[in-house]
Amino acid sequence: METYSYVNIFETKGLEYILLICFMVMMVLLFRYMRAGMRDKS
Amino acid sequence: MARVADERQSLFSFFKDQLRPRGKLITPFNVISIPVIIAGVIILFFRFTQGLGATTNLSQQNPWGIWIGFDVVTGVAFAGGAYVLTFAVYVMRMDKFHPIIRATVLNGFLAYVFYAGALVFDLGRPWHVINPVIGNAFGYNSVLFLVAWHFMLYMTAEFVEFSPVITEWLGLKKARRVANSLTLAAVILGISLSTLHQSGLGALFLMAKPKIHPLWYSEFIPIFFFVSSIFAGISMVIFESTISHRVFKMQMGPGSHERLNEIIIGLARGATIAMFVYYFFKALIFIHDDQWALIKGFWGAWYLTEVLGFVLVPMVLFAYGSRHKAVGIIKIAAVLTLIGVLLNRLNISVIAFNWNVADKYIPHWMEIVVTLTVVFSEIWIFRWIVNRMPVMREPGALGSPNRKRELQSLN
Amino acid sequence: MNRRNFFRLSGMASIALMAKTAEASHGPRPGAPEFWGVLVDTTRCIGCRSCEVACGEENGMFVPDVENDGALETLRTTDETQWTVVNHFETSKGDVFVKRQCMHCWQPACTAACLTKAMEKTELGPVIWHENRCMGCRFCMVSCPFDVPKFEYDSWNPKIQKCIMCWHRTSVGDKPACVESCPTDALIFGHKRDLMEIARMRIYNHPEKYVHKIYGEHEVGGTGWLYLSAVPFEEIGFRMDLGTTPYPEYTKDFLYGVPLVLLGFPALLAGMNLMTRPENDEESGVHGE
Ligand code: SF4
Ligand code: SF4
Repeated sequence: METYSYVNIFETKGLEYILLICFMVMMVLLFRYMRAGMRDKS
Repeated sequence: MARVADERQSLFSFFKDQLRPRGKLITPFNVISIPVIIAGVIILFFRFTQGLGATTNLSQQNPWGIWIGFDVVTGVAFAGGAYVLTFAVYVMRMDKFHPIIRATVLNGFLAYVFYAGALVFDLGRPWHVINPVIGNAFGYNSVLFLVAWHFMLYMTAEFVEFSPVITEWLGLKKARRVANSLTLAAVILGISLSTLHQSGLGALFLMAKPKIHPLWYSEFIPIFFFVSSIFAGISMVIFESTISHRVFKMQMGPGSHERLNEIIIGLARGATIAMFVYYFFKALIFIHDDQWALIKGFWGAWYLTEVLGFVLVPMVLFAYGSRHKAVGIIKIAAVLTLIGVLLNRLNISVIAFNWNVADKYIPHWMEIVVTLTVVFSEIWIFRWIVNRMPVMREPGALGSPNRKRELQSLN
Repeated sequence: MNRRNFFRLSGMASIALMAKTAEASHGPRPGAPEFWGVLVDTTRCIGCRSCEVACGEENGMFVPDVENDGALETLRTTDETQWTVVNHFETSKGDVFVKRQCMHCWQPACTAACLTKAMEKTELGPVIWHENRCMGCRFCMVSCPFDVPKFEYDSWNPKIQKCIMCWHRTSVGDKPACVESCPTDALIFGHKRDLMEIARMRIYNHPEKYVHKIYGEHEVGGTGWLYLSAVPFEEIGFRMDLGTTPYPEYTKDFLYGVPLVLLGFPALLAGMNLMTRPENDEESGVHGE
């Protein structure tokens, strides 16, 4: 039945921000990787 | 008077000439597609006389099958290339992609006419399809209402975008100028509409929350659908232009091969970024919804297959292929991506829909035949148009034989 | 405070709670009538299936042969021929019979799904279907959390079939046929506020007889039909994972975003086109030809 106890709906926020930082780092790496291919050409 | 009659005569013979089939009749594609289309038409006859139960495996538990899940939901995602490319060419002025814009818009238009049009087969009472349009029963509270309206408006916009080609084909000088002046408006409207109905197709499933496996359900389904329609559309453009290039080679000028490769590499870069974002979106939702415990058993493995095998892997291939200018690898990545989007759409609408229900829906062979009928008919019309209108050729360079001179004077 | 008053108070509290959720999405029209509902006390149901018969007769649907068809042996769902069915469950507290039909949700998913307004939530509560509007898209079936609307797959002119709470009767304040036919008063017809009071009273008076939950009080935002049970509701075929959010709320944000996008995007795109346009561009609109 219905329970009345503490629920933290923001429990995952910390992990989410860690993911965000990973994303930013990876984004830069990906961008550099793909741009390197374009330099080769010219 | 005589001149009018004369003109009418020539117009008539022009159309008669255009309607005649071109090329060989016995090709592998024709041999396969003609019987399928005939069978499909027969099946549709039964569907409309005996009801949906006669030709489909739909049930009370599974009201939507592949006619919705594949034809409409997946077909429209695959047609996303049109809005992505018109954005690139007409809004951002990326000239690089100009040579394929006509074929892509044509493809987008036909995809909507056929795949979204296939919705009519699935409606139990299709004669009422007009109801949400004429206003005696505006269900504007419904996501489907929005999607239906957007389909109609978008088809119109796509038709306007394509209309310069038609006017060129008919040699209508004035109409071409009018059509040209409408293009930008149609493009802008088309992109706005696409944003909404691509995501709207996902929003259809928002209220099916208790029925969709939690790994696929999220309140962000609309955003997922929108982002994935970008790379689904791009992959389809890569796939389709590769095939078109082979089939319609004689229509394209010298140097078209190198130019196409250049275009494909550019598209691959766009797809890489879109998939990169999509992949991290997926990860974010996964963390946010705390789904670690769900990654087990069949559904966990199936989910990982979709997200790792058909998003992450093709993304890496796209990145690698565009960096090393390996067009072959890009094409493989495009095919994998298409499979991935297909899986995703089918998972949400059919496979992981009612995943915990004993009586699973498996499409009837007749449903599959009708689906193939839709796909093949679209290809037939596409081919018919490309063989007649200046789609692949340099714009206006080669008209139909008897109108050649007019067309040359146009440019 | 006596017991009666206590219940009246708590009843009001729960109505106030519902009103508050309603406020979040515009709130009820002032002066709108309170909606009808039915309280099903499964502890009173003897499984005679009179309601199934009455429903079939009243609405011109299939009338089951209750004596001989042995339908209680299997777990049934409503279908395109029957708007209500009674199921039999063997539970920790013995045999339990449960009548199922459309729940007549307070904020129904089916009407929010319908693009032709064929599904209609009437002001009095019953959710009804209009044959002359429906286009058979079955989006209502996809959306209903209780899988209630059913479709005639074997007809060229199919209808959606679902309980309409005997609209021809309830619209003039009469009981639905099933309620009238019930010999044990397992079904009570009334306004939800009153039904909630009766239900709470029964739980309070017989705390050992009932589980302390009224199914439908908050489920999917509250339903017109309410259930009392002696055993946990999972045991008698109810889904407990449907949540308390009214289902139309799930699409609300998206639909809100529609005018937002259509307002913003065209202008932004036109602006981008202007920004990328070369200074000496004589072409009217198209670029690159
Ligand atoms: S139970 Fe289903 S059909 Fe009945 S009102 Fe609720 S959403 Fe509609
Ligand atoms: S099937 Fe009919 S009632 Fe149901 S959502 Fe579609 S149009 Fe509305």
